[in-house]
Amino acid sequence: MAENANSAITKEKPLETLPGQERYVAPLEETPLQQVDSVDEAAPATSMWADAWRTLRRNPLFIISGILILFIIVVALFPSLFTKNNPTYCSLEYSLDGSSAGHPFGYDLQGCDIYSRVIYGTRASLSVGILTTIIVVVVGALVGAIAGFCGGWIDSVLSRLVDIFMAIPLLLGAIVVLQMFKTTGSVWKVVLVLALFGWVSTARIARGAVLSSKNLEFNTASTALGSTPMRNLFRHIIPNSLAPIIVIATTSLGSYIVSEATLSFLGIGLPSTTVSWGGDISSAQSLLRTDPMVLFYPSCALAITVLAFIMMGDAVKDALDPKSRTA
Amino acid sequence: MTDEKKTTMNDSSADAMREQQLKSGPLLEVKDLQVDFTSDRGKAIHAVRDSSFSVYPGQWVAIVGESGSGKSTSAMACLGLLPGTGHVVGGSIKLDGEEIAYYKPKQFVHLRGSKMGLVPQDPMSNLNPVWRIGTQVKEALIANNMDVSHEKRSKLSKALAGSEVEVKTEGDETFIGSKELPDLLEAAEKQLVELGVTGTKLEKTMAKFREEWVPGSETRWRVASDLIKAGVKDEDAWYLAKKYVTGSSMEDRIAGLLSEAGLPDAATRARQFPHEFSGGMRQRALIAIGLACRPELLIADEPTSALDVTVQKKILDHLQMLTDSLGTAVLFITHDLGLAAERAQHIVVMYKGQVVESGPSLEVLQHPQHPYTKRLVAAAPSLASQRIISAKAHGEENAVVMEHRVDEKKLKTSDTIIDVEHLTKEFKLPRKKELFKAVDDVSFQVKRGTTLAIVGESGSGKSTVANMCLKLLEPTGGKVLYEGQDIAGFKGHSLLDFRRHVQPVFQNPYGSLDPMYSIFRSIEEPLRIHHIGDKKSRAARVKELLEMVELPESVMQRYPNELSGGQRQRIAIARAMALNPDVIVCDEAVSALDVLVQDQVLQLLNDLQAERGLSYLFITHDLAVVRQIADDVVVMQHGKLVEHGTTDEVFNNPQKQYTRDLLDAIPGGKLELGLDL
Repeated sequence: MAENANSAITKEKPLETLPGQERYVAPLEETPLQQVDSVDEAAPATSMWADAWRTLRRNPLFIISGILILFIIVVALFPSLFTKNNPTYCSLEYSLDGSSAGHPFGYDLQGCDIYSRVIYGTRASLSVGILTTIIVVVVGALVGAIAGFCGGWIDSVLSRLVDIFMAIPLLLGAIVVLQMFKTTGSVWKVVLVLALFGWVSTARIARGAVLSSKNLEFNTASTALGSTPMRNLFRHIIPNSLAPIIVIATTSLGSYIVSEATLSFLGIGLPSTTVSWGGDISSAQSLLRTDPMVLFYPSCALAITVLAFIMMGDAVKDALDPKSRTA
Repeated sequence: MTDEKKTTMNDSSADAMREQQLKSGPLLEVKDLQVDFTSDRGKAIHAVRDSSFSVYPGQWVAIVGESGSGKSTSAMACLGLLPGTGHVVGGSIKLDGEEIAYYKPKQFVHLRGSKMGLVPQDPMSNLNPVWRIGTQVKEALIANNMDVSHEKRSKLSKALAGSEVEVKTEGDETFIGSKELPDLLEAAEKQLVELGVTGTKLEKTMAKFREEWVPGSETRWRVASDLIKAGVKDEDAWYLAKKYVTGSSMEDRIAGLLSEAGLPDAATRARQFPHEFSGGMRQRALIAIGLACRPELLIADEPTSALDVTVQKKILDHLQMLTDSLGTAVLFITHDLGLAAERAQHIVVMYKGQVVESGPSLEVLQHPQHPYTKRLVAAAPSLASQRIISAKAHGEENAVVMEHRVDEKKLKTSDTIIDVEHLTKEFKLPRKKELFKAVDDVSFQVKRGTTLAIVGESGSGKSTVANMCLKLLEPTGGKVLYEGQDIAGFKGHSLLDFRRHVQPVFQNPYGSLDPMYSIFRSIEEPLRIHHIGDKKSRAARVKELLEMVELPESVMQRYPNELSGGQRQRIAIARAMALNPDVIVCDEAVSALDVLVQDQVLQLLNDLQAERGLSYLFITHDLAVVRQIADDVVVMQHGKLVEHGTTDEVFNNPQKQYTRDLLDAIPGGKLELGLDL
C-alpha cells in the first residue's frame, strides 16, 4: 500500500514539500486510539447537588460559618445548657457591676446578667430570621414562578404588585405597620411584617429564574413526550430555578435578623418582655460613654450571627452558581 | 480591486513564492509544544503534548481534529492567549526565528495585531455590541499605531512584488483619500478623452475605476498601473497618481479595510452597530479587524463554523484572495476535513493533544496512514458523499458507503405516514405591521420506513415545519396528517396517543436533557408520563434502551453534565425510543457533534430504522449528511419549498439554481479523498 501511495503522490504533487513540513505520521503507541466517544466509567457520578456539596465541603468559609451556625442553633434550642442564670431575674444591687464568677459579662443597668441575656436572646433573633425566610421563600417563589410561567396579564399584574412593594423601604413599612399593632406582641407579629415587605425580592428572582429555565429545550422535549404544562412547571422548571432562590434565602436570613434587632431597638419590634439582642442594645445605648461593654456583648452576638449567615450565603452562592465567582 | 489582479497565483509566481519561502524559512515554527491546564484540584491536565508544526509565509496551514484535541489550544498558545489556567510548560514557539513561547503577557501585546492577527470563532460574541463597527476597526489600528495613509506590505509580498510591478518607494504605497477621489476620477476621464477614448469604452473604463479605486484601500501604484493599462502614458499616469493620491484619513482606511473584507457600502456600514449585521457580515468585520494591521500571520479559529455553507464559501473565497494578495500566512483551525483539503496546502491532524499526522493536505487526506486520520476521513460526511458518487460511477452498489440508506424498492412501494399539505406559518414580528411568513405553502409526504430530509440554511423555516409536524406549533394555514388524520384535531387522549407515536430528537444535546434529572429519570420520564409499566418493568426497559443506544448500564446514575455531546444525543434518542414510536423528527440532531460521533449517531439511527421500520423526518443544514442518510430530500429557502425529489435526483440532477449553489458550497465536495479506504 505504501508503494502505491508514493507513486500517486509524485504524480499529483510535483512540488516538493518545504523543509519541516514533510509527511509525518505519529507512531501508534504514542497516541493509542480509543473507542469513539466512550464513557469514562471510572469517574464518580455527580449531580448538580453532589457537585455543589463537594465544592462547599472544601470551602473554609462554609466550614467556619457552618460550625458557627450549628453552635448558634444549639444555643437557641437549649439556652439552659450554657447558663444557669435567669435572664429576667434582675436586681438593682448589681447594676452595672463588672464580671464576676458565673457572670462573665457582668450586669446591665437594671442589674440583669448580660451573659444569660445574650444567650437567651439568640432564640428570638434566630426564630425571627428562620421563620421570615421560610415564609418569604414559599410566598415569593410561588408568586414569582406563577408570574414567570404564565406570562401575559398575570405576569403584568403580579410584577406591578412586586414593584409597588419594592418601592416601600422595608424598615419604613415595618415601622408604619407595627405602630398600628403596637399593643399585641409576639415573635409572629415581627415575622409577618418582615415577610410582608421581604417576599418581593425573592419573587423577582424566582420570576427571572423561571423565565430563563422555561425557555430551555428540555421543556419542549418534555411537552413532545406528552407532558402537560403543569407537570413541566413542577417537575422541570421549578427544580431548575431553585438554586438562585436558595442563594437569596441564605443571604437574606442575616438581614432579617438585623431588621428584627433594628425594630426591637426602635421599641416597636419584639415586646420588652421578650429577651432580644435588639432590645438590649436599645436599653444599653445610653450607657455607651460610661459602660460600653454593656452595649458591646449583645451587638457582638448579633454581628457574629449575621456574619455567619451571610458567609454561608456567599459559600452557597459560589457552589451553586460557579459563574458568579469573582476570582 | 479585481480578483485576478491581486491574486496572480500562476505557476511562475508559485515558483517565485516557493523560492522566497525557502529563503526566509518558516514564519511560525512550533516544536514539541506542551501546554498544561491546572484543574480545580490542582492536577495538571496535558492539553497539548509534544506537538510540532510550522507555517511558511503566505501559506495556508490547517489544524484539524475533534473538540478537545488541542487544536485551538495550540493556536492560542502561539498568540499568548491561553484561557484560564493554561500555560506553556515545554517546547518552543518561534515567530520569525524569535522564541516567543515564554514571553510575558506584555511582550505579546507588541506581537498581536501587527505580527499575528486573530479571526475568532463566534462572530456573535466577539464584537462589542455597544460600539460601532468602525470604532472597533479603529481600535485595532490605533492600538498598533498603524499608518492609515500608507499600505504596509508583508515581507513576502515585498519580495514577490519585484517580479511583477516596479514598486519601490514608500510614497507609491499611499492610499487614495475620499476627498481627492472625485478630482482623480475627473482628471483620469479628461486624460482618457484626450487619448481619444469615447463612448461605451470610456464609460466602461471609468466604471471600472470607480469600482476599483476604493479610498483607504487602493494604493498610488495600483492607480498608476490601472491608468497605464487603460492606455495612459507612463509619465502622465504617474503624474496623475502622484498629484491626486495623497493619503487617506482614518475614516477612509476603516471603510477601505471593511470593503476589502467584502462588506458592500463600507463607509455606511462602519457607522452601524453589530446588531445591525448578519452573522456573515460580522465575520467579515472580524476579518477586517484581524487583517487591519497587516499581520504576517493570521490565526483563524473555526472562522466560519457558525455560518451557513454558502456564506462560508463566499467568506473563505474572499479571505483567500485577500491573504494571497497581501502575502499573509493563515493558520486555520477547523473540524471540517473537506474545508481543510480545499483550502490548505499543509494539514496537521491532532488527536488527544498530539499531532498524529501532518503533511501536504491532499496527500494526507487521500492516503491517510495513521489509524485516527483514516477513521476521520472515513467518517467525514462530505467525503463519504464523494465516495458514494464514485462508487456509483464505477457501477458498484457499494454496501459500505450506502450504509445509511434504505433500498429504492421500499421507497416506491411504502405508504405515506406523514402528509404535509400546504403548510403555512406566519409570525408577528415586534415593531412591524406585516406578518412574517416563516413557512409558505409547503407540501411533502414522509413514506413509512424511509427518511425524508429537509435541508435549508438558517432562517429557511425548516425547524418551524418540524415543530408543526410535532404539534408544538399550530400552523396558520394548511394541515399535517398523521396516518391520514389531521393532527390539529388531536386533544387530550388522542394527543397523548399521537405523542406516543411521533417523537423528537433536538439539536442541542446540552439543552434537551434536564440537568437536574439523572439519565435514568430522563429516559424513564416518557414511561411515567404515559403510565406504562410498574417501577420494576420501567427499570428493565431503561436498561434495554441504554443497551440499544450502546451505552453502559452504569450511566443510569449519572447526570447529563458528565456525558459528552454525542452520548447525550444517544440518551435523547433512547428517550425518544422509549415509547416505541413510528416517526422520529430529528431537528439538526447531529449538527453539533464531531464527525466521528456524528457518524456513530447516524449509524445508530440507521440501524434502528432497519430493525424497527422507523420513519425519520430529518432536519439539517448539511447536505453532505443528507446524502448519507436520506431517501427523499426537500430543499427549503426563505420558507418556500425549492426542490423536492429523491436524494439521487436532487444530488445528481439538481433542478434549481439554489440547490446547485448549496451543492457547490459543500466544502471539499469535489475532492476525492480517502482513496485507500
